[in-house]
Amino acid sequence: MAAPLICPQTAPAPALFSVRGLRLSFPDTAHKPLFAPAPRIEVLKGLDLDLPRGQITGIVGESGSGKSTLGRVLVRLLRPDAGQVLLNGQDIATLDEAALRPLRRNLQMIFQDPMSSLNPRHKIWRIVAAPLARYANDTSTRSGSAARRDQALRALERVGLDPSFGERYPHELSGGQRQRVGIARAIALEPEFILADEIVSGLDVSSQAQVLSLLKSLAQEMNLTIAFISHDLSVIRHLCDNVIVLNRGEILENGPVEQVFAAPQSEITRLLLDAIPLPELDDKWFD
Amino acid sequence: MTMSSTLNIQNLTVSLRSGLPLLRQVNLTLEPGEVRALVGESGAGKSMIGKAVLGTLPPATRVTHGQIFLRGQALDHLNAAQRRHCVAQSAALIPQDPLTALNPVRRIAPQITDPLTRIHGWSAERAQTRALELLHRVEIRDPARVMRSYPHELSGGMRQRILIAAAFAPSPPLIVADEPTTALDVTVQKQILKLIRELQKEVGTAVLFVTHDMGVVAKISQKVSVLFQGRVMEDSTTEAIFSNPTHPYTRALIAATPSYADPARSFSPVPPELIAQMKSKIAQEEIW
Repeated sequence: MAAPLICPQTAPAPALFSVRGLRLSFPDTAHKPLFAPAPRIEVLKGLDLDLPRGQITGIVGESGSGKSTLGRVLVRLLRPDAGQVLLNGQDIATLDEAALRPLRRNLQMIFQDPMSSLNPRHKIWRIVAAPLARYANDTSTRSGSAARRDQALRALERVGLDPSFGERYPHELSGGQRQRVGIARAIALEPEFILADEIVSGLDVSSQAQVLSLLKSLAQEMNLTIAFISHDLSVIRHLCDNVIVLNRGEILENGPVEQVFAAPQSEITRLLLDAIPLPELDDKWFD
Repeated sequence: MTMSSTLNIQNLTVSLRSGLPLLRQVNLTLEPGEVRALVGESGAGKSMIGKAVLGTLPPATRVTHGQIFLRGQALDHLNAAQRRHCVAQSAALIPQDPLTALNPVRRIAPQITDPLTRIHGWSAERAQTRALELLHRVEIRDPARVMRSYPHELSGGMRQRILIAAAFAPSPPLIVADEPTTALDVTVQKQILKLIRELQKEVGTAVLFVTHDMGVVAKISQKVSVLFQGRVMEDSTTEAIFSNPTHPYTRALIAATPSYADPARSFSPVPPELIAQMKSKIAQEEIW
């Protein structure tokens, strides 16, 4: 039987991000000699990875494994020492801020702590409209501002918040609602890529479930590529298409979630799995 | 009520000045050496119970009804100083956030030994020995060096171990653990839970364990109180809660917890209809 020549369904999705040989180090200021530069600590030790377009990739590891650092390189808040970061085929690893600026609207973030990442003195609609204003041409006119307000309210509706929330302040919202505002701000510019760094670790289980199902449906609707950083493999198993396990700046596993969870290759992955307390009785869990 | 209970709370109602109740007629008992989990969503009042026992309720709130017995002693019969003394003698707290719980301008040593010498009347030497012993017990590698360190020199996991050591040092009959692992990553969480469990068994301490994680509840506790808007919805053994939960809210909380072992089961938030139903039921009861 002849195999079909090209089957568009099974052709691998082209990657939004392609990272090759990524290295990054920080100065170790605690051990700096008096008159010499501080020694450097390698945080990312030559990473190769792809983030497939339109998919959610989980990045998991213990504290200090480099998962947040990797995320910050992807949105170029950090500049790597060496290696390539290809975004749609363009290397952004060494671009300066002026060259990055037009790309930035495509790279949005959702933060861990919604309370400290939302300005407490601004109304919700202004917080969501801030990135819109950043890329607007008519920042001075009243009609431009009103249009952005409408756009912000539409973004709030997309995350399931009534437009009346636009007039409230962050402290009037619950943790889950605040995190929805964070998501609304990230999608307001209709970006291609969102970095979500531990976005549910501060929420209780019910709000966590709400925020995750929202993120999943938005990702499908808007064809978003998401890097989802978490230390909770249960959450990653439910939400993500692919998973990357990091340990001390190196990739231990990289593949579709079904595959990695069915047959974890490394000891660290098994340790991370064993450490999760499942909601079921198990006398031997501590042994 | 048996006189031997470590903690016995009867019809405890705590309200804001405006009259809005934060805890509604809470009943619970804690036997010596038992771990009871207080579980619920944010704002359910689970931390508030621990605060009411320790006498650290926020200034805007007050106990409007009910009684707390700590080792048979009714706390509301005592004046403020006696109450403080009684609670300090019998109870300790493991706080949620290890980064803010330690005094940043003092070394670790006095932060562990001060309660031992000042509240429990131990000699400085005995307190020092006990502190070193406990730090060793919570697997801190160089206890003598850590005792001389300041909090900022230590990692979050280390600081949480120190707080656990400090809480267990006087072998108190009661420990209130207020979400002690939510700030930590999963592997450190498992170590910390294991430590609390082992020390709790060794010392025979009863623990009131506040958490929103049904996974943690399943592993650490023997009894569970499920809270919603300050009311106990279900009070049962951990075994019964997981093998046969009677209240729909308990089932909903378990269903909201993701499990990597069971990806086919879609986890879902607590249904809004159930929340509305429970709210209206509470409102109805309030009228009577």
